[in-house]
Amino acid sequence: MDDLINFFKKKYVIIAPLLIIIFIAQNEQYSQLTSSGTFGSALRLSIPILLAGLGGLFSERTGVVNIGLEGMMIMGTWFGAWGGFMYGPWGGVLFGLIGGGLFGLIHAIATVSFQVDHIVSGVAINILAVGAARFFNILAFDGIAFASSTASPRIEGEVGKFNLPFLTGGTLNGNETSNILGDLENANIFLISDISGLLVGLTSNISYFTIIALLLVPISVYVLWRTPIGLQMRSVGEYPSGSESLGVNVYLMKYIGVIISGCLAGLAGAYLVLEGPNVYLQGQTGGRGFIGLASLLFGNYRPLGVLMGAGLFGFADALQLRSEEAIHGLLIAVALFLFVLTINNLSKRNFKVSTGTFITGLFFLVWYLNSTSVPIQFIYFTPHLTTLVVLSFSKQKFRMPKKVGVAYKKGELN
Amino acid sequence: MNKAITVSNITKSYPGVLANSNVSLEVSEGSIHAIVGENGAGKSTLMKILYGMVKPDDGSISIFEKITQLSSPKDAIDSGLGMVHQHFMLADNLSVLESVILGIDNATLKNINLRRYKSEIMEVINKYNLNINLDKTIDELGVGEKQRVEILKVLFRGAKILILDEPTAVLVPQEVEELFNNLRDLKDNGVTIIFISHKLDEVLEIADEISVMRGGVMVNTVDSENISKKELAEMMIGKSLPKPPERQSSVGDLKILSVENLSASNDDGKDIFNDITFDLQSSEILGIAGVEGNGQRELVEAIIGIQEYNSGSIRLKDEIIDDLGIRERLGLGISFIPEDRQAQALIMDMTLTNNIILGRQSLKKYKTKLTTVNLSNATTASESVIGNFDVKTPNANTIATALSGGNQQKYVVGRELEDNPTLLIASQPTRGIDIGAQALIWEKLRSTRDDGLGVILISADLEELIGLSDRIVVIYQGNFVAELKPDEITPEILGSYMTGLRK
Repeated sequence: MDDLINFFKKKYVIIAPLLIIIFIAQNEQYSQLTSSGTFGSALRLSIPILLAGLGGLFSERTGVVNIGLEGMMIMGTWFGAWGGFMYGPWGGVLFGLIGGGLFGLIHAIATVSFQVDHIVSGVAINILAVGAARFFNILAFDGIAFASSTASPRIEGEVGKFNLPFLTGGTLNGNETSNILGDLENANIFLISDISGLLVGLTSNISYFTIIALLLVPISVYVLWRTPIGLQMRSVGEYPSGSESLGVNVYLMKYIGVIISGCLAGLAGAYLVLEGPNVYLQGQTGGRGFIGLASLLFGNYRPLGVLMGAGLFGFADALQLRSEEAIHGLLIAVALFLFVLTINNLSKRNFKVSTGTFITGLFFLVWYLNSTSVPIQFIYFTPHLTTLVVLSFSKQKFRMPKKVGVAYKKGELN
Repeated sequence: MNKAITVSNITKSYPGVLANSNVSLEVSEGSIHAIVGENGAGKSTLMKILYGMVKPDDGSISIFEKITQLSSPKDAIDSGLGMVHQHFMLADNLSVLESVILGIDNATLKNINLRRYKSEIMEVINKYNLNINLDKTIDELGVGEKQRVEILKVLFRGAKILILDEPTAVLVPQEVEELFNNLRDLKDNGVTIIFISHKLDEVLEIADEISVMRGGVMVNTVDSENISKKELAEMMIGKSLPKPPERQSSVGDLKILSVENLSASNDDGKDIFNDITFDLQSSEILGIAGVEGNGQRELVEAIIGIQEYNSGSIRLKDEIIDDLGIRERLGLGISFIPEDRQAQALIMDMTLTNNIILGRQSLKKYKTKLTTVNLSNATTASESVIGNFDVKTPNANTIATALSGGNQQKYVVGRELEDNPTLLIASQPTRGIDIGAQALIWEKLRSTRDDGLGVILISADLEELIGLSDRIVVIYQGNFVAELKPDEITPEILGSYMTGLRK
């Protein structure tokens, strides 16, 4: 029992909101909060952010700030669409990766070899990518049906999808199997149905592209923390002079990190195209590269943390797409969570913070009680606001790589 | 006995400087060989050449009696050399184990065999009696431990010759003793050690042979048994060693500063310093001794107004200054020599004249009627500092980067004493500068003290602290734990208070 209490004390920031949301979802009006449909689209919406965040991780761990993720992602969307149009969906995946990687290379050349300020180079890449994608699009698809200067023609076919056998009704050797989790979800049992909803959402009708993206999380952990190259890459972000003195090729490690970063951002762009409208559209990324960067901060420069940050944003995004009523339910959820924070801070005698959270909580409570819905303009803004709120309330103790953003010149002590 | 290293007629010149001129050196296998010399004597250049970081213009190097071409640190490592740098080459976020094995494997994607490495490293640790915990991260370690990790790093790479560059500069006396014990263990196991230093007592204690460098030339190599400190010093600088000036205690009656029950804590509620009370008289130098990170930096920053404090009060002469901002406090006659001249005291890319205005931008004399900067007054002030403090610079419009460390520091001290302050806070006023500049700064501190200035002195150089101070307080974990009379203590005693061994 004590263990359980301790566990809750440590992880209440994660557990409390989950419990609150499950509780609220029992109300018919807000049932979308925990439906499999919400979780399914949450997953699809989080993957691009996850990929961009992992991209940021590889770059920043080697000491290069990559604010150009957005631009690399834009290249991913266009190259993904072009590759898809020419060589089918998997061609799209490959070319998305290459397109992002190319812009990663540009960022690496600028920041590592020429010691350009990382932010300047990143901003330049973001600007360049918008123009380049449009230019390529006109150049490549001129005269092809349904293509315009801002949109590519449609990609035929899609990356394969599958269901889990037995649990969510997938096929095994060509035979249909049972759908245990789906049945549980529909049974409307407190907690069990909600959790089943989550699992169904995460395991049914999943494309192989999604699986690859999710696998990249453990792969990143393995590469960065379990291999010699990962150790060298991390050391370069912490103290390049020290790495150099031990024979580590600092420039090479930074190049590798930034190029991988571009490749992952490119994959994120390709995912937006191939798992979305199946065409390239100008402005398709919609700032997701930056949100990927935010998820990197939220995740404290660790792959699992990035996954959590991306999941949170995806969930909020899915809600605003699927159910306006559920967003209204979120108001009371936010209020309740802020009260939990208030109590926690009171017990730590942290009065300034607890007053702040209490008043904000009260504000959300009053808003909830005096309204039946959230203004439509606000609903579109929910995911971004959620990200903002979570970032500001999460513990601001980032352990970022020591020398991130600092130019390194060979043979120089810094 | 076999020679571990033979250096023959090495010459290396940089534009305008002959860093090493025809330098020769022989180091016997299994001995501890010290190289002493002032800053700029060419020790560092010689070591960089030995470690393959710098290519000599002329001359040859043999390692274990084989002529060796060293064109990169990797060549040096391969031929059995290992360097422990003065600045630790360690990344805070990595574990000790990771730091040691970094760079040993080629950069591949195969799994690192951590368990195998761990047992191999433990063997080395046990063989040489190094006390190191492999699972900690680097930022959890103290200075002495970090240094042992550096030594372990090169030993694990199979180094048979260890080069230590000013290894004791950052250590307190107890840690120095521990380091020396480690070095003796290494020597007994057949490791050759080259020990670079300018602290003659230490060199005489640990070294078998001592080579003296001066002005890029190898002056002499002597047996440590047959030489006195005085002879060594004379060889090193060509005249006798300046000492911290003798104290003629003439503490004045006027109370300059009184600090009462000052406490501060950080964001986590942890005490930075706690219930600090002390007075400072005119014509008094109060030394604050403490291992770095025990709250002394924050304490003086609180007096200047940089660090916020939760309770207590500070009185300058008759005025309570708790509610004043930094600029107002400086305006009342507080001067501050920060510990890091390049990061805190000077703007490196600005001229000396611009730098003199730094911290005094609100003074009337640096403003014209239109409230623009009065450059002619600034130039006058700057030139007078350059003259009075013997700052070696082409002119007052040279940028700060172009000066050597000693001259930068002389300029900073000169600037802080320029406006006749009532209180001077001097943090590490002579850290890392040559003996000449050090002597001048000591002399200036003493003479202004005699003229009535109250000084708070923080220094890691315990001899300096004992030599200059009229009174020493020891700060340990944010508390004043002792008040000592300088003429009754030695650096060893002071060190034991600083590390909490004695109360």
